[in-house]
Amino acid sequence: MTRTPDVVVVGGGVIGCAVAYYVAKRGLKVTLIDQPKRGRATSASAGGLWPLGESVGLGCGVIYYKAMAGMGALPDGVHGPGQLPRSFLDFAIRSNAMFPKLSEELRETSGMDIELERTSLLFLMYDEGDETFAKPLWERCPCGKDLTEWLTPEELAKAEPAVTREVRGALRFNGDDQVNPYRLADAFRAAARNLGATVLTHTEVTGIRVESGQVKGVETAAASIPCNLVVNAAGAWAPEIGGMVGIAIPVRPVRGQILGTETLPKILTACLSTTDCYLAQKGHGEIIIGSTTEEVGFDVGVKPAAMKTLSAGAIRAMPFLKNVRLKRVWSGLRPGSPDELPILGPVTGLNGYLNACGHFRTGILNAPLTGLLIAEMASGDQPSFPVEPFLLARFASGADERQMVTTG
Amino acid sequence: MNGSHPLVIIGGGPAGITAAIEAARAGLNPTLIDEASALGGQVYRHLPEEFQVEDAEALGHDFARGNRLRQEFFDVAGRVEVVSNTAVLGVWPNGDLLWSRDNSSGVLEAERLIIASGAYDRPVPFPGWTLPGVMAAGGVQTILKTMRVRPGRRALVAGTGPLILSVAARLHHAGVEIACVLEAGNPPWRDGVFPNEWPHVEFIDDMRGHLDYLRRANIAIRTNHTVLEAHGPDEVDGASIGAVDPQTWRPLKDSFERIDVDLIVIGFGFVPNTELTELAGCRHHYAPELGGWVPARTPFMETSIPGIFAAGDGAGIGGVFVAMEEGRLAGITAAEQAGAIAPDEAERRRRGPLERLGEFAEMRAVLAEVSQIRPGLLDLATAGTLVCRCEEVALSDVQTALDQGARDLQAVKLITRLGMGPCQGRNCAPHVGMHLCHATGRTHEQVGRINPRPPLKPVTFGALAAMEGVSETSAVDPLDAVGGGAS
Repeated sequence: MTRTPDVVVVGGGVIGCAVAYYVAKRGLKVTLIDQPKRGRATSASAGGLWPLGESVGLGCGVIYYKAMAGMGALPDGVHGPGQLPRSFLDFAIRSNAMFPKLSEELRETSGMDIELERTSLLFLMYDEGDETFAKPLWERCPCGKDLTEWLTPEELAKAEPAVTREVRGALRFNGDDQVNPYRLADAFRAAARNLGATVLTHTEVTGIRVESGQVKGVETAAASIPCNLVVNAAGAWAPEIGGMVGIAIPVRPVRGQILGTETLPKILTACLSTTDCYLAQKGHGEIIIGSTTEEVGFDVGVKPAAMKTLSAGAIRAMPFLKNVRLKRVWSGLRPGSPDELPILGPVTGLNGYLNACGHFRTGILNAPLTGLLIAEMASGDQPSFPVEPFLLARFASGADERQMVTTG
Repeated sequence: MNGSHPLVIIGGGPAGITAAIEAARAGLNPTLIDEASALGGQVYRHLPEEFQVEDAEALGHDFARGNRLRQEFFDVAGRVEVVSNTAVLGVWPNGDLLWSRDNSSGVLEAERLIIASGAYDRPVPFPGWTLPGVMAAGGVQTILKTMRVRPGRRALVAGTGPLILSVAARLHHAGVEIACVLEAGNPPWRDGVFPNEWPHVEFIDDMRGHLDYLRRANIAIRTNHTVLEAHGPDEVDGASIGAVDPQTWRPLKDSFERIDVDLIVIGFGFVPNTELTELAGCRHHYAPELGGWVPARTPFMETSIPGIFAAGDGAGIGGVFVAMEEGRLAGITAAEQAGAIAPDEAERRRRGPLERLGEFAEMRAVLAEVSQIRPGLLDLATAGTLVCRCEEVALSDVQTALDQGARDLQAVKLITRLGMGPCQGRNCAPHVGMHLCHATGRTHEQVGRINPRPPLKPVTFGALAAMEGVSETSAVDPLDAVGGGAS
């Protein structure tokens, strides 16, 4: 046997747990270090797996776009929610395709059900503008027309009786589904542990030891953990970890406020995306309604104005919600990168360091492929999917692959 | 009632009422928000309007005292804006407050805030505790006081402290047979003896009265005993009771007896409602003698956030007499800060309440010492006992989470859904927090809390969509621009 490197994963959100799982699965010795913080994005996710919707600007993209436009704050020349580049769509589709098998794997290894549900995503078209926005997506969907479906108001009413009739139709994205985000992270973590990973919770990383350009260990308040490889999966806090090895990571917290209804009987089959909000009913019966996109630092508060706006948007999409009770509003900090793409893989000049951060709104969706690729790189293999578009180095060259910038 | 307000008082119980009285006397016009339709809070809860009182004497001391307090309030009522039937869903460190009433809601700005949110019955899980027929002592008092309803025929009263004496006496007075009263501790007043150094206050008279009543009615108080299990297929038809270790209150399950009852009343004291002070961002600490997590306060009841005060049981259990003095201090000091009275006048007005609080101090210490819940009671719950009723989480699920590495309430919540229900952890966090401390050797500070989130009270989406006092974040639909025109 060759000597296997010891891997330390910093960050216990869904990305860190996924990385720990795939690294442990390859038989490497891995330690996951987690310091739970308020605002962890995994805890404020709706669990939507929407590779198509997210890449064409639905989900939070269109809501944020509307809010920006409402404030007159759109950059010049921007006329619609931005589409993410092909590389993102391919990555997301590949990661999404891993879920069915992963669900079985995790059930076997962790005993947990991640509540993967085939839902599809429906974009509700309230008016002509929505229709004009949706039509090209339908006609020229980057993933092929067979995955999309144009629903007339009658067809929508039949498919989703609880959805408003005040629509001009809906665009369905087949293959955009959902999981339970907490369960996914928990199952990754439990499975990793069952495969031999060590999990240190409530442990703050205080430093990273580097000798001659090679990572040698991770320091915590309690101990010094020798390792040959450290993975930065610290979400919105990734810049802190990068800073310990002199790497500037352009990730910033982007707050999202999210509402949850009281437990309801099953009333919504698909996930919904509108210009006001998105809605997804989870396995437990709550409908999750999101979400705002705000740059307010590490403030994890919630605001009455967001409760009002999202409530109104939810009622517009599903009028019966008017008399349903709100159970909770909470928020999470998305790890936002400048071009909305994750930051993955090695950095030049430092051996034994891999990024697994900057996942912005799609950490749940992109966790499996991220975990797999990091594990492949950790064991010295060629990654099975190109990571070049996601390297940190892309920012140094000033290249921005985004055609349109909607956040910024 | 949107816009800016010089002083907003949340809670129309004894602390909130006295705070409003003092603030109004000082010339400030406070706004008093209360959930109920009439002021009084839990202890001085008003009878519904449909009830006609013919024999006020029979309604007990609290009714008379409540009327006395209301009378004091009516003298200044013209200067107080009373907002009834209104729930506070959340407060923010800057003084913003989100309220709801029926199908409306709104935001108002409080320049100063007095939070007098009261307390709730401490939940202590034991096998069968979720059966209909198991009731909390505070809830039973409310049913007796306001609905004049007898909650059972034959009752077991178990718990600790003065409250179980009072609830047993009231139940018997209402015609409920009392099988027995079980006090987990062994307090000095069990024989009707009170320390000489205790002040002569109404509170002691009340306790003496309840003890005399129980003695005359031949109702035995068994000390160092408690309820072990509630029995019954669909509702309570019996209970197992037994002795506890005098030091730890751990149930000695080797010997127990079964009694036939249809009502089990549990009174292990109260837990302060700190959701509002937590949301406001006030600093809190864990003080078992005050009921658990409480906001840090100055002697004049100001929290760590300037201009935000906390008074009464919601800031630390002290009972109604303490609550009224704390409310006065908060009201006077808030008025002083607002410039309604001069500092020396404020000091003069605070003298009485401070003196009376001082008199209570020693008595409170003894009460806390003898009736504060002890960790042995954790052993009452078995693996299958539900600890989170909203999400139906059993103690064994908490154990599983511990095995998976959870070391605090937040981690247990994410794994088990404990505390994710409508009660926001009020009914599980105090007990499971203690359990985690016990199981992990960590402190309450390390085990943490379940973070409260708005809305603290049930509210519909319709009410929130109609929110007054805030603007929506966007007014136009920009996707219209994509097609070049609005529809």
